[in-house]
Amino acid sequence: MKNEVSEAEARLALSSIEQRRQQVIAEIDVPAWYWFGMAGGWVVLGVLADYGPSWATIAGTVLFGAVHASVAPRVLSGRHASPHLSVRSDLVSRRVPALVIGFLILMTIVTVALALIASADGARHPAILASVVVAALVLVGGPRLMAAVRRQAEQRLAAS
Amino acid sequence: MSTTKFDEIIHPSTRLSIVALLASTDWADFSFVRDRLGMSDSALSKQFSILEDAGYVTIDRFVTNRRRRVRVGLTDLGRQAFEAHVAALQAVIASAESGTLPAA
Repeated sequence: MKNEVSEAEARLALSSIEQRRQQVIAEIDVPAWYWFGMAGGWVVLGVLADYGPSWATIAGTVLFGAVHASVAPRVLSGRHASPHLSVRSDLVSRRVPALVIGFLILMTIVTVALALIASADGARHPAILASVVVAALVLVGGPRLMAAVRRQAEQRLAAS
Repeated sequence: MSTTKFDEIIHPSTRLSIVALLASTDWADFSFVRDRLGMSDSALSKQFSILEDAGYVTIDRFVTNRRRRVRVGLTDLGRQAFEAHVAALQAVIASAESGTLPAA
């Protein structure tokens, strides 16, 4: 068999293999509901911070963190966005969970900074204002972050 | 480093596509493979039967949320065969570029 395979046929076969790998790389992501959940939770915490008692804000933050901690191990790997497959771990950077958590920490810092600026400027609802802005950033930035992860996976595949 | 071995079961383009797709996954739904390859259920089932008979894939059928699902994945044997086949394809290209015959 091997003697019957031409160089052109071998190249075609390898090209087909790469195309299939790229189809799987395209599935590297976190579920869309994760970003919507984060954005929604952010706004709820902002509302609690402006309108609720301090205990409610603390309780809400703890609950938010607990729920996130329960889903994060599976969701943040980037391998299970689709219920129809599990992407192999060697195709996905191990830094994806750290990247997402780092992004969320950055968003937390932005939220506090925006709320302080809004408060200093005399805004009536600084926490809500800041949380809505950051929720929008999460909805836009989260998928972009995962797109960058996919590009990196494609580059690693091309280099291998 | 993987061994170099052409695999006549994997080499036909349809099965090569199936195995290449599965090689990047731990498992995939039958429907995922079908949709990505643009094949009919019957045509894909036939190819999976050949791969299953060779011991290259496992096929699990189960029911979840009242829906029947078929989940497929490469076996260790299938993964080794695929890697050896890819290495053989690369060897063909390398030998053509260097002007030598592929190693036996």
